[in-house]
Amino acid sequence: MERSASFRDFSLLIALLLIGAFFSVMSPQFLSSRNLSMMMIELAVTATLALGMLLVILPGHIDLSVGSGVGLIGGVASVLVFRHHWPSPLAMALGMALAVGLWTLMGAVIVRERMPAFIITLGGLLVFKGAFWLVIRNATVPVAAGGQANLYSLLTTYYLPRPAGYGLAAACLAAVAWAKLKAAARRREFGFEVPDGETLFLKLFLTGQLMLLFVVVMNQYRGVPLTVVVLGLVALAVFVVTEHTPFGRYLYAIGGNEEAAVISGVPVDRVIVAAYAVLGAVVAVTGFMQTAYSGASTTTVGELMELDAIAACVIGGTSLKGGRGTTLGVLFGALIMTCLLNGMTLLAVSPEYKYIARGAVLALAVWMDVRLSRN
Amino acid sequence: MAAAPVAAAPILKAEGITKSFPGVKALDGVSFDLVAGEIHALCGENGAGKSTLIKLLAGIHPHGHYEGALSVDGRPAAFGGVADAEAAGIAVICQELALVPAMTVAENIFLGAEPTAAGLIDWGRVYHESARLMERFGVKLDCYARAGSLGMGLRQLIEIVKALRKESRILILDEPTAALSGAEVAALLDILRDLRRRGIACVYISHKLDEVFALADRITVLRDGRTVATLAASRTDKAEVIRHMVGREIADFFPRRRSRPGETLLAVRGLDVVDAEGAPLLKGVSFEARAGEVLGIGGLMGSGRTELLMHLFGSLGRRAAGSVELAGRPWNGGPGEALRRGLALVTEDRKRYGLVLDQSVGFNLSLSAIGRMTAAGLVDAPAETRANREVFESLRVKAPGLEARVGSLSGGNQQKVVIGKALQTEPRVVFLDEPTRGIDVGAKLEVYEIVNRLTDAGKAVVLVSSELPELMGMSDRVIMLHEGAVGGEFRRGEATQEALMAAALGHRPAAA
Repeated sequence: MERSASFRDFSLLIALLLIGAFFSVMSPQFLSSRNLSMMMIELAVTATLALGMLLVILPGHIDLSVGSGVGLIGGVASVLVFRHHWPSPLAMALGMALAVGLWTLMGAVIVRERMPAFIITLGGLLVFKGAFWLVIRNATVPVAAGGQANLYSLLTTYYLPRPAGYGLAAACLAAVAWAKLKAAARRREFGFEVPDGETLFLKLFLTGQLMLLFVVVMNQYRGVPLTVVVLGLVALAVFVVTEHTPFGRYLYAIGGNEEAAVISGVPVDRVIVAAYAVLGAVVAVTGFMQTAYSGASTTTVGELMELDAIAACVIGGTSLKGGRGTTLGVLFGALIMTCLLNGMTLLAVSPEYKYIARGAVLALAVWMDVRLSRN
Repeated sequence: MAAAPVAAAPILKAEGITKSFPGVKALDGVSFDLVAGEIHALCGENGAGKSTLIKLLAGIHPHGHYEGALSVDGRPAAFGGVADAEAAGIAVICQELALVPAMTVAENIFLGAEPTAAGLIDWGRVYHESARLMERFGVKLDCYARAGSLGMGLRQLIEIVKALRKESRILILDEPTAALSGAEVAALLDILRDLRRRGIACVYISHKLDEVFALADRITVLRDGRTVATLAASRTDKAEVIRHMVGREIADFFPRRRSRPGETLLAVRGLDVVDAEGAPLLKGVSFEARAGEVLGIGGLMGSGRTELLMHLFGSLGRRAAGSVELAGRPWNGGPGEALRRGLALVTEDRKRYGLVLDQSVGFNLSLSAIGRMTAAGLVDAPAETRANREVFESLRVKAPGLEARVGSLSGGNQQKVVIGKALQTEPRVVFLDEPTRGIDVGAKLEVYEIVNRLTDAGKAVVLVSSELPELMGMSDRVIMLHEGAVGGEFRRGEATQEALMAAALGHRPAAA
């Protein structure tokens, strides 16, 4: 179990390096700071949605409607801002409330009526898509009126001032170091195995180097994108929820053995509904970012994003049967998906082949999941 | 061993069969034979080895995975799988029927062996031959009826006709009447007698001694994986069969420490429970469990023991009548509420209901109580580890540590984790359903010690067990269930194994 996991982590890293090497050889722009900066925004959008998806896959469910939801919620906010001249924060708040309501409803139908999540959310995919096109009336609806900036548009166009980037990296590193040291101290207190100081230092050092490299590259272009900060907050929230709350425990327990969870007193139905409700909020955040990144609501926003999110989860080691998956793994899976999509766009791969490649990667990732869970 | 006269040469013979599973010897030198046209009943307690023997005869445990010899018609047989056993004319009709409810009777009879013409199914032949088969064997069934629309008794007949279609000469029926009504049972017995006249031999497994004596020519009793006796049904009686079934010696050591019973913590009165389809699971069950006391609940498989515990814990069935009081207050809720009210259940099937096998020992230990181990909404990790560590040590779980995957532990240690999970919720009433099944003797003793500590601490323990010595050794009082109702209540010391078994079989000792 442990061994296959670490082997898996390792093979993921190699896959990522190979993909990166391939695209950087094929296209000199791939490693340019401009492209890397854009890639980070794309990563933030994909990874945020995938982290939400993780919350419903962990207890063994699925959500196929998130792609359409991204379009719909982004569209609702755009229409309120552009056609009805709402202040963008209010429009986004309404979109968020709508998303949480819709996803709570889907979760409730799934647990109350004992209907498969696959079917309910497949229905959601179509219903939300239709509603989305009705809302934007099949037109292009910008996220801000007449080229002005608002909170909505700034989601993907604001970059942190360069010194703030460094400050943020330093703060993150300090927080990680503090958490690691505290955890190590606690483990020592209870007599658990503790990584030795050297390994710990090396890990922190490497983390710091990566963060520094990241900020340097981002600052070469315009600075750290706000989108990445949003991803960081979502990732932190998902990490805390899954690792440090009873709710998170219940997600793993339901996915690992639902019958045992019931007998153990886990309020299974309420947990599932709550997971969908949180996913709804994540869909709204993703919808705002993805729509802002496109600059406007158009009929294709969010299309097939559910598949990228599921692929990111599975590539990152999340089991579709439930009970297994981590925040860090999903981030990694999203990074691989983003590299692939971004690289193919740079190489001007035609949409036909992009579809085929996406499908192949999804199938490959699920095959790996099946193979690994069989052992 | 009493030998019964055997008129003809056996068509099926098993000699010196020994079959071991990791840690258990399920069969130990068992011999069994069957002659053409006889009905041979197989009796024994739960775990006596009946199911293992059938699986061997049916090719489910293939040749090479057991010691001893099988022969069919006097020739050695080495079944590599179910297909070989079927080819030799052996068909097993299990408790769980392998029918497709949406298909018609005839479609089910020919499932997997549809006659074809030019690559297409020859439906005319399917129905024609089904009808002919039934006529030949005197079975009356509508070929066009959907299997799912028929009662359990008729469904059983479909399985039998399906076996006859395969030219089976030997039918093995495992508890065929467990789910049947009185009239259905009578019809089934008639059919089996009729088949006997037509030369079909039958191995009949049942807990119901009335049926056994109404039907069988010979009776073989298994106990602890050994053949105890093979008796001619006409020369024995129920009392002798029961004596053979339970003749186990109480050699095991049961370290029960008695403590003075205190207040009544659980009171069940006239409890009727039905399942989702409205079929009765429990009928008029009444009992009390007091602080500091072990109440034993016995009964054969299907007598409603597990159903009783699961229902009281709020995870099974619907209450049709009766009342339950938990610590003096009415009780009828789900598992989460049960745990909050101080009622905990250690389930019989720990892999299915007890553990999240992929997760760590610590994860499982605190799963039921994690909602109480929080500070500001987050899991209080030090408090959790401290509580887990305490249970881990006091139950002496043998594992590399709290972070070991629970699926990698031995059965006994997994069982301790399930018990530990229940204890973390600080219950007052603890249900233990077969807490020593599949664990070694050392671990059993530790479980008994845990039971003693629980009653010392003033908790009420309800212990369900299939092993009569364990039930008698560890309980202060015992109730035996028979077909969902209380068949008898016994005080410690006043119960004999024979009396308990008779109560479980619904058999009045006075009539024996």
